[in-house]
Amino acid sequence: MTPQQEPPPFLGTWARVYWGVVLYLAAVIGVLMLFTASFRL
Amino acid sequence: MRTLDWVIFAATIGFIVLYGLWKSRKTATVQGYLLADRSLPWYTVALSIMATQASAVTFISTTGQAYADGMRFIQFYFGLPIAMILVSAYFAPKFRGAGVYTAYEYLEKRFDAKTRALVSLIFLIQRGLAVGMILYAPAVVLTVILGWDDRLTTLLMGLVVIGYTVMGGIRAVAWTDFQQMLIMLIGLGAALVVAIVKLPAGIGFGDSLLLAASAGKLNAVTTNFDWNDRYNLLSGLVGGTFLALAYFGCDQSQVQRYLTGKDLQQSRVSLLFNAIAKIPMQFFILLTGAMVFSFYVFTAPPLTFHSGKVGALAGTAIEARHRQAVAAREAAARELLERRDAAHQAKFLAAHQAFDAVHKEATKAANDTNYVFMTFVTQHLPAGFVGLVIAVIFGAAMSASSGEINSLATVTMVDMYQRFIRPGAADAHYLWFSRLATVFWGLYAVASAQLARGLGSLVEAVNMLGSLFYGGLLGVFLLAFFFPRVNGTAAFVGVLAGEAAIFYTHSTGQVGFLWYNVIGCGVVVLTGCLLSIAGRSASNSRQP
Repeated sequence: MTPQQEPPPFLGTWARVYWGVVLYLAAVIGVLMLFTASFRL
Repeated sequence: MRTLDWVIFAATIGFIVLYGLWKSRKTATVQGYLLADRSLPWYTVALSIMATQASAVTFISTTGQAYADGMRFIQFYFGLPIAMILVSAYFAPKFRGAGVYTAYEYLEKRFDAKTRALVSLIFLIQRGLAVGMILYAPAVVLTVILGWDDRLTTLLMGLVVIGYTVMGGIRAVAWTDFQQMLIMLIGLGAALVVAIVKLPAGIGFGDSLLLAASAGKLNAVTTNFDWNDRYNLLSGLVGGTFLALAYFGCDQSQVQRYLTGKDLQQSRVSLLFNAIAKIPMQFFILLTGAMVFSFYVFTAPPLTFHSGKVGALAGTAIEARHRQAVAAREAAARELLERRDAAHQAKFLAAHQAFDAVHKEATKAANDTNYVFMTFVTQHLPAGFVGLVIAVIFGAAMSASSGEINSLATVTMVDMYQRFIRPGAADAHYLWFSRLATVFWGLYAVASAQLARGLGSLVEAVNMLGSLFYGGLLGVFLLAFFFPRVNGTAAFVGVLAGEAAIFYTHSTGQVGFLWYNVIGCGVVVLTGCLLSIAGRSASNSRQP
């Protein structure tokens, strides 16, 4: 197995890692938008 | 600074440097000096990556930026997790698999010597310009706030950095980075806690957040798009991805960090740790700046944070207007916290805008962002904490500049001296030359630090400087990894075309700097591909 084909250190496959980062970013942006909006009176 | 601050400052810096030297005491080969024998655990590599990127500029300027412009700077980091995954999946295994010391060495294996030399030269110019700025950032602020001589400060920091980087190489750099990053987090936490604790009685963290939000300081996400707007959601996601991909994938100061990992998986874990931790860390730093803003709603801020300019404004009409604006804003804030409705929120915003107009008039629109955080620290933090935060600023400047100096020395030695000037010499000779190159770049950093004077927000200046060159660097590595039919000459011309496109775009002043990376990278890839296709067509037509 070449280094490029090695599985990632987490989540088993690279596809899961890519989806993981998409979900992470969506969550971060969503939380930040909620954070800002929550102080609008 | 009080005696306790001096003791804590000296003890913290002394401990960090001695610990780094102790951990690197067995360095005796070039591989040990430049790559720590590829033996470091992931957590050291991870914090070293973070510390190299988080210079003193990050703490001084980012907090000030949140105070003045709000938290929207965080969008700059939205592309970083995407970039880190790509670096982890594609870049790290290519570099580790090729067994190289530098990222640019890989380019000769893939293309040719001239492409390697050109890209190495671009790196040396770009990082050579930035390293002085990184060292100067804390010096200029400490000069204004504490009256320290900026030349003496840069010289002191520079000599300490040169000392441990020359003696211990990258192992000393990485282990001092590790300690410095931990101290940085403690120092920032202390500043955030003090900004909240020192609010007037009856006003808590939630109130502080409401005031900051009402003045537009918690505006973390901007969905409106404008090409010339530096920080919005799209520029952060697209431009930020390209910038982070170029920085972590092609900049030797970062590539060298993850080449020191024990194995590929350790390197990958360190990158993925940064993918997850970087945005929360920046949020924490920006939130500290926003809380400093709320603190100054109730504690009268100076007319300008640049203390050297306060004297000239004393007793003038503008000083009286400033006092009135401060009082009106505080009254509006107290009304808002009591009534908590939209009308009072709008009234507070209007009062803040009136205050801001007087502030801008007083400073004559000169940027005093870089002085906000240190003014707060030196005037309001208790004894001991001031010394700790100054140590944090020194530590951050030292960790970032030592990483840069070490990588500049590595490229000078591996990509220039060993490749083109004196190939085939003994390991001991190269180790000696690496140390010599480290001394040279360290002294160069101290000397060029003076060029950073007169720049506005230093964090933006550093990132903009990077963006002038990173698009070209990223483009050539994308050609190397993903376009196997592109040859060396096409890549070489592509880099030149990409850099020309970036500098032309910059000269128009119409596009935010995060987009330079996208434009430069696109031009390199397109030019490289078109020239290769044209070359193959010409070659085919010549065949009988």
